[in-house]
Amino acid sequence: MRPIMAIATTTVGEAIRRRVLLIILFIGVLLLSIIPSLSVLTARSEQSTMISTMYAVLRGTSALIAIILTIYMIPNEIERRTIYTILSKPVMRWQFLVGKFMGAVLALGLMIVLMSSVMVLLFYIFQQPSPERLLEVARQPFFYFLEMMLLAAVCIFFSTFTTPLVNFFLSIGIWGVGTVLSPLYSSIASNSGASPIMQSVAKFVTGAMPAFSNYDVKNPIINPGQVIENEQKYFIYIVLYAILYSAGLLVAGMVIFDKREV
Amino acid sequence: MRPTKSKLLGILAATFVGQMALQVGAIQDFWKKNYWSGQGFAESLSPDQTLLQLFGFREFLAGILWVRADSFFDEGNYDAVLPIIRLCTILDPKQIDIYATGMWHIAYNFTDEEQRSDRRYIPSALALGKEGSRQNPNTYELFFETGWIWYHKIDDDYHQSIKWFRQAQEREDMLPARRNLLANAFQRNNQVREGLEHYWKLYAETAADYEKQKDIYQLFQQKETLEQNLDTMIVRMVQRGWLAQERGDASQTVYDTTEPFDVGFTARVIVDEPKVIRVQGTWNVLPVGTRIRIIVRDADNPNFTLAAMDWDGQNEVVLDPERDATYLQDQGFVKNRRFNKRIDMSKDPTMYPFSRKSENFLVEFYYNPRSASLHVQDKFGWNGEGMTDKAFLRTDVRKDYEWVPGEKNGKYTDGWKLQERQTPPARIVYTSLKLSRDQILRKGDWIDKTPIVQTSNFDASRFSVTTEDIIDVPTLRSSAPRPGANPEKEQEAIQGAPGTTPR
Amino acid sequence: MAAAIETRKLTKTYKSRLHGLINVVQDLDLTVEEGEIFGFLGPNGAGKTTTIKMLLGIIYPTGGEGFVLGKEIGDMDVHRIISYLPERPYYYEHMTGLEILRFYGALFGIKDEALFNQLLERVNLAADKSKTISQFSKGMQQRIGLAQSLLNDPKLLFLDEPTGGLDPIAHIEIRDLILNFRDEGRTVFISSHELSEVERICDRVAIINKGIIVRQGKLDDLLSGGRIEIIADDVSKEIADQVKGTTDATVSFHDGRLIVDMSDEQDPNSVVDSIRSTKGRIISLTPRRKRLEDLFIETVRDDDASKKKPAAVAAEVGGAQ
Ligand SMILES: Nc1ncnc2c1ncn2[C@@H]1O[C@H](COP(=O)(O)OP(=O)(O)OP(=O)(O)O)[C@@H](O)[C@H]1O
Ligand SMILES: [Mg+2]
Repeated sequence: MRPIMAIATTTVGEAIRRRVLLIILFIGVLLLSIIPSLSVLTARSEQSTMISTMYAVLRGTSALIAIILTIYMIPNEIERRTIYTILSKPVMRWQFLVGKFMGAVLALGLMIVLMSSVMVLLFYIFQQPSPERLLEVARQPFFYFLEMMLLAAVCIFFSTFTTPLVNFFLSIGIWGVGTVLSPLYSSIASNSGASPIMQSVAKFVTGAMPAFSNYDVKNPIINPGQVIENEQKYFIYIVLYAILYSAGLLVAGMVIFDKREV
Repeated sequence: MRPTKSKLLGILAATFVGQMALQVGAIQDFWKKNYWSGQGFAESLSPDQTLLQLFGFREFLAGILWVRADSFFDEGNYDAVLPIIRLCTILDPKQIDIYATGMWHIAYNFTDEEQRSDRRYIPSALALGKEGSRQNPNTYELFFETGWIWYHKIDDDYHQSIKWFRQAQEREDMLPARRNLLANAFQRNNQVREGLEHYWKLYAETAADYEKQKDIYQLFQQKETLEQNLDTMIVRMVQRGWLAQERGDASQTVYDTTEPFDVGFTARVIVDEPKVIRVQGTWNVLPVGTRIRIIVRDADNPNFTLAAMDWDGQNEVVLDPERDATYLQDQGFVKNRRFNKRIDMSKDPTMYPFSRKSENFLVEFYYNPRSASLHVQDKFGWNGEGMTDKAFLRTDVRKDYEWVPGEKNGKYTDGWKLQERQTPPARIVYTSLKLSRDQILRKGDWIDKTPIVQTSNFDASRFSVTTEDIIDVPTLRSSAPRPGANPEKEQEAIQGAPGTTPR
Repeated sequence: MAAAIETRKLTKTYKSRLHGLINVVQDLDLTVEEGEIFGFLGPNGAGKTTTIKMLLGIIYPTGGEGFVLGKEIGDMDVHRIISYLPERPYYYEHMTGLEILRFYGALFGIKDEALFNQLLERVNLAADKSKTISQFSKGMQQRIGLAQSLLNDPKLLFLDEPTGGLDPIAHIEIRDLILNFRDEGRTVFISSHELSEVERICDRVAIINKGIIVRQGKLDDLLSGGRIEIIADDVSKEIADQVKGTTDATVSFHDGRLIVDMSDEQDPNSVVDSIRSTKGRIISLTPRRKRLEDLFIETVRDDDASKKKPAAVAAEVGGAQ
C-alpha cells in the first residue's frame, strides 16, 4: 500500500505542475467566469441557462484534463525511464498502475474541486440562491468527478498498449459514445423494426461500454421541481458502478501491462 | 504477492458481469426515467435530434437561437421561425416559453391576405403543446396553453379543453384568475352542473384562504370575482330553466328556452371568379351578433370531417402542414337576418391550393349554440334547447364526449380515456354545399358560366332588394312565468359546496 | 557461496520489421561473484542495458534463465536488496534531492529522515537541499541517482554507465564512491565503455559484442602479457620496412621517427640492433602493461572480423578463451 500511495502523491505533484493542464484549467475557469455575463442573452430561465452552461464547461474541461493527464502518464514514465528506477524497487507493476491511477484521480479531484468552487461562487454572486439550492447545484460536480475517474481508468487501460495519440482519439470516442449510450440504447431497443438479434447485440454493447451518461444527473437541478424517488439508491448504484468498472479496467490493464516491455 | 494471471482474469470477469448487471438491471432505466431530457419526446426524435438533445451547451444555444427567432418575428419572417422553434424545444425542452410562444405562433400567425389563419397548422400547435406538457409536467402552463388552443382557436369539441384545463388545475402553480376558465369550458360542453361545482370549489378555497390572510387584497378580489361569477351563473341557471329541467318540473314555467325558435337557415354559394366565392344565407335571429362558421375544404380528404379536421391527429411534432390540402375557415356575420360574405382565396395559392387531391370541395355552414355569446345563449340555452331549424338542425354532427381518467397505456396516452356522454346530443345547425374543382376554378364548362349552388329552401328574393337599412327585431322573450314556479326549490338546488352560501 | 548473478543461455530476441528476428542478447552465460566489482563492457548497442533490464525483470528474456542473489529473476524479495542506476536517468523534475529520496524510500517503506540526510551528505549534495532536480547539473543528477540506489543498503548494485557524460572530477568522485561500495562488501555490476575507469576499479570483466560474450575473466589474467615500446630517430626507410616484418608489432614511421609497439614475448634486442646498425638513435625503450583499451579493441575487432561466421560458432570462440 505504501508504494501505491507514494506513486499516487508523486503523480499528483507532477500533474498539478503540468503546464498544459494548468492552461486548460485556466481556460475552464475563464469560461466559467464569462458565463454569467452571457446569460443576459436568454429570455427567461436565466438561472437554468447559467447552471447548464456552467455544467457543460465543467464537464468538458474535466474530461479534457482527465484525458490529457492520463494518456501521457505511463508513456512518459517509460520514455523518461523513471519507471526503471521504480520497477527495480520492490514495486509490482500492478502497484505502479494503481498508484498512477489513484494519483490521476486525486489530481482530477483537486482540479474539479477548484473549478466547482469557482462555479458555485459565481452562481452565488449572480443568483443569490438559497443555501439548499446552492447545495443542490454543487451536487452535480461530484458525479462529474466519478465520471472522470471512470474516464481516467479508460485512458490508463488504453495507455498500457497504445500510443498517446491513438489513446487520445480512442478515449474521446469512448467518452463521446458513453455519454449518449443510454439514450442511444433506448432508441434502438424501442425501435420495433430492429431484429431481436440486433436488439440483444445493442443490449450487450450498451451494457459493456462505460456508461458515462449515468453521471449526468443535472436535468432535475437545472429544471427544479421534479420529484425523484429513491434517488439516494441510484447515487449509491452509480458510485458502485464507477468503482466496479474502473477496477475492471485496471485489472485488464494489469494483465496487459504485466507482459509489456517497457 | 504477484497476482496470477488466472486470478486477474477471474476478477476481470467478475467486475465486468457486476457492472453490466448494475447498469442493465438498476441504473439504465432509472436514469432514462429521471435524468434524460429526451424522455418526454417519446422516441419521436431522429437520431441526430437525439444527439443534439445531449449537447452540453444546449440550454445556452437554445437561448441564443430564441433571441434570433425574436428578430424573425419582428421581420414577419414566420416561416424561418418554425425550424428554430423546433430546434429550441429539442435543445431546451424545459423552456416553457418556447413551447408556449411556439404554439401561439403556429396557431395564430400564419394567415392569408385577409388575416384568416391557416388552420392546417393547428395539429402541429397542439402536438407541440402535448410534447411540451409531457416535458414539463410540473407546471400548469403548457396544459393551460394547449387547452386554450382548443377553447379559443378551435372553439369546438370542448371536452378537449376541459381535459387540458383539468390537468392544468391539478398543478399548484396555476394562477387563480386562470382557474375560472374551466368553469366556462364546462358550460360550453353542456356540463353546467360541473361548471357550477367548479366555481363553488374555487370559491370555498379562496374564501378559506381569505379567512386566514385577510390583509391580502388579491384574495379579497378573487373572492369577489368568484361571488359575482357564481351569482351570474346561478341567475342564468334559473332563467334558462336549467334547474327546473334538472329537477324535472320545467313544464310548470315558461322559460326563454322553452319554445325552440326556428332560425330559418338557408344558404347559397356563388363562384364569382376563380377561387373567389360569395356565400349568402339567412338567419332569422337578432339583427346583429350571430356568426355562422363557413368552411371551404377538400371533400375527400380523410383528415377532414364535418366542419372540422382531425385537430388531435398529430402526436409527434411535425411543423409542416399538409400543404396540398385546402381548408379555409371564415365566418358570416348576420346582419338584418342575412349574411353575405365574399371570400377571396385567389391571393393565397399556398394556403388554398385546390389541388388534384380532391375533385370536389365542400362549403360547410356550421352553427353551434354552445359557442354562442352569452346573450344569445340566454335564449338558446347551453345546448341550443331554445333553437331549432326546420331543415338543418342536426344532432349527429357533434356528439357529447368527456375525458375520464383512465389507465396509462401506450406511448401517448396520458392516462385519460374518451367516453361518450349519455346526455341530449348537441343541437347544431349544419349543411354543406358541394362544388367541383372546375366550378371553383372556373374552368371547363364554367369558364363563362357562374356556378351557383344553394339549399333547396334558399329564397333569392330576400337578396334581390336592398333591405340593409331595415332593423328588424324579432322577439325572443317569452311571456311571464307561469303560476306555480318554485323559487325556494331553486335556491336549494343551487347549493353547491356544503357549508358555504353565496351572500 | 552462490554467485551474485548467474545466467545460463540468457537470450533476448526482438522482432524487427526490417530485419526479422534480431538476437540482441544471445546465449549469455555470466557469473558474477559476491563482493566483486564486475565490469560489463561492450560497444554501443552490444546489449549491455538489455541484459541489465532482463536481470531486473523490467523486460522479459526470450530464452535461457537467470538468477540474481540465488533467486530467479523477477523475484520481488530480491528487489528489496538490490538497486539500479539506469543510464542517463531522469527524476521527477519538480522534486528536491531530499524529496526524491523520500519518494524512493517510500517504495521500500523507508521513512528514515536521518538516513536520507546521511545519503545526501555521502554523495555531497547536502548543500543543495533546496534545489529541485531541474536545477541539478548532470553530475548532481548522477549523484542523487547513486544516493537513491543506496537507500535500501543493497547487496548488489547495477550501475549502467554511471560516469556517462561526466567531467573528470566527477569521474573521480563517482569512482571513489564505487570503490567504497566494494569495501562495504557490496557486489557491483557496472556496464560501461569508459575503459580506463573500469580498468581502475573492476575485479572481473566480461566483454559483450553484438549480444554475445566474447571475453570474460579476471582483469589481471586478461591483461597479462606486456608490451614494449621503442622510439628511435634518424631511422632509414629500409630499416623501418625491415622492422615492420616483426611479428605482433605495430610500427609507425614518419620523417625518420620510428615507433614500434611490440609484444614482450619477442626479443627487442634484434630490433634495437637493426636500428643502431644504420646510425639510428634510440630515444626510449619502455616496457608497458597491456591496457584494457587494447584488449577491448583487439577483442571487438577480432570478433567483428569473424562476424561472417555463424553466430553459434562465434559464441564458442568467445567462450573458449
Ligand atoms: N525494444 C527494442 N526493440 C528492438 N530492438 C531493441 C529494443 N531495445 C533495444 N534494442 C536493440 O538492442 C540492441 C542492444 O541495445 P542495448 O540498449 O542493450 O545496448 P547497450 O549495450 O546498452 O548500448 P549503449 O552502450 O549504447 O547503451 C541495440 O541494437 C538496440 O537497437
Ligand atoms: Mg546501454
